[in-house]
Amino acid sequence: MTTSRTPLAQAVNISKRFQKKTDFAERAAIALGAMRKPPVVHALDDVSLDIRQGEVVGLVGESGCGKSTLGRIMAGMLAPTEGIVLRDGADVAGLKGRKARAMRLRTQIIFQDPMSSLNPRRRVGDIIGEAPRFHGLVDKAGQEKLVAELLETVGLQPEMAQRFPHQFSGGQRQRIGIARALAVKPDFLVCDESIAALDVSIQAQIINLFMELRERLGLTLLFISHDLSVVQHISDRVVIMYLGRVVETAPVDRIFEAPNHPYTQALLDEIPRIDRRNRSFATIRGEIPSPVNPPKGCHFHPRCLHAFDRCRTERPQLKRLQAGHESACHLNDLPPSQQPLKWEENNEML
Amino acid sequence: MTAPLLEVDNLQTHFETLAGVVKAVDGVSFTVARGEVLGLVGESGSGKSITGFSLLGLLDAPGRVVGGAVRFNGEDLLALDAKRQRQIRGNRIAMIFQDPMMTLNPVLSIGTQMVETVRAHDTVSRAEARRRSRDALGKVGIPSPEERLDAYPHEFSGGMRQRVAIAIALLHGPDLIIADEPTTALDVTIQSQILAQVQQLCSELGMGLIWISHDLGVVAGLAHKVAVMYAGRIVEQGTVVDVLDRSRHPYTRGLIASTPMANQRGVPLHQIPGSAPSPLDRPEGCSFHPRCSRASDACVKVPEISRTRNHEWRCFHPLGADI
Repeated sequence: MTTSRTPLAQAVNISKRFQKKTDFAERAAIALGAMRKPPVVHALDDVSLDIRQGEVVGLVGESGCGKSTLGRIMAGMLAPTEGIVLRDGADVAGLKGRKARAMRLRTQIIFQDPMSSLNPRRRVGDIIGEAPRFHGLVDKAGQEKLVAELLETVGLQPEMAQRFPHQFSGGQRQRIGIARALAVKPDFLVCDESIAALDVSIQAQIINLFMELRERLGLTLLFISHDLSVVQHISDRVVIMYLGRVVETAPVDRIFEAPNHPYTQALLDEIPRIDRRNRSFATIRGEIPSPVNPPKGCHFHPRCLHAFDRCRTERPQLKRLQAGHESACHLNDLPPSQQPLKWEENNEML
Repeated sequence: MTAPLLEVDNLQTHFETLAGVVKAVDGVSFTVARGEVLGLVGESGSGKSITGFSLLGLLDAPGRVVGGAVRFNGEDLLALDAKRQRQIRGNRIAMIFQDPMMTLNPVLSIGTQMVETVRAHDTVSRAEARRRSRDALGKVGIPSPEERLDAYPHEFSGGMRQRVAIAIALLHGPDLIIADEPTTALDVTIQSQILAQVQQLCSELGMGLIWISHDLGVVAGLAHKVAVMYAGRIVEQGTVVDVLDRSRHPYTRGLIASTPMANQRGVPLHQIPGSAPSPLDRPEGCSFHPRCSRASDACVKVPEISRTRNHEWRCFHPLGADI
């Protein structure tokens, strides 16, 4: 695989805020002080992410951390409030017309729930074939052939093109979702919790399919998941998010051997594992704060065991710890004698 | 060992639909002792939830328990009249569901719902019922329980709502709790908090707990015993160590092997071929045989249960105990 210096896809200082749109009457009421402004949800707060050609990046976080928002912005489904998305170094927002359309086809997204993302009233052949047909990649005769090929690629039979989505099991539906994404020959796939709704034995089949496709078609993947064990299996690099910010990023082995950020460490401690028996579930305190009103300073400080004064006021920046490993935690600036015991010293290797 | 708290013997629950009879639960037997946690594991459609519902008589038509016995403290739950069943349900046996947003009434405050629950079984004053509700909320780790009693379900986060559901289940100090995927919808760190709470409460109060889940990892950490269900039958059950480390049934082994945990990074995961059979059209004999690598001609008959002291399985070709 060729590794060029420019990343395949980049998010640069992306922020995304959601606010309910106000109508005229509401705006008048706000101006008169009769109504409060609708709350602003800070979904993403100055997030940057580089994805290199051929890489599988695992994006991990709990609900409300902004991982899906980031995925949708990377896929061009949402526009960022601030910041830019680059493909091969070029600003995607700057493209117009045919170039913009062609660019959009290069990134495709696969959703969590295949039942709600497939039109129940259309045949599988149309669902998969519509986009390439619309964009003029194939003609009517070519559509059938393409659909048959794609169905085989994802492990289904070509005859199934005549069926409707409800005639398939969950795992098969997810395969259809994947075939639809592949139909326009993308080089970058955003998988947004694509296996979360599947049973364990089916999950394994879909994970294997992703790994096989990546190998065969040279795909680059942004794999969004809340499940660290799945991410560990499939990813080259892991990005951990918490409440709209990236808190740590490292190559996959590194993050599981020597997680730096207290949040990452907590996440690793909490994964249920078959080999952990009769454990006492020691826990991380508190709830995930609301993105409407995130805590000041480091967003994690109210739940962090090691928080000190600086964490409550100043936002920690991502700092390089070693090649490829960055973490946003003020503890790293303390002299070693004052730092809490390192995770790897505290835990036996799993 | 004393007599178990709950004894389920050859439970059969069928759904008579127009398309045919669905044998959702097909001869399930297990026991739960006081203070014991049983993990009931299976994939969707395996009948694990229906087993839970059958115990409490919560089946919707056309579902019907057609055979078997459920003895709870020596009483046959299936033979009870509606009145006696109501006395037990919510009082001696409580249930926690997957999604508390669906089971809590959105237009009543938590306090109202809890007071109602208390007074459904005990004749106490409203003030006393409210006091008990407050204590229950405190016990499951909800901060400032007095004020929270006046809050409505939508004002709680997912994790807090599940705590409320657990608090309601605990109101009458039940002997047995049936928990149906209660942490599946929650984030990892919140799930862990709930598990810690449940674990502590169970050992403190000496309750029996049936934890229905598809997540082997959670069950491994929480339960004492595991029962693995496939297509309406328990294919293997026993202590956590026996079932997970010394699995005899190929399905159990396959499930464990297909988790990313058990595999080396980057190499293809072990996968069980095919998918679970439709409940209307289950294969003859051992339902797993079309997907099983060890299947032979013998498997077209239903295998009898083989057992050692703490471990039983239904398979003609069990894996060696050494694996």
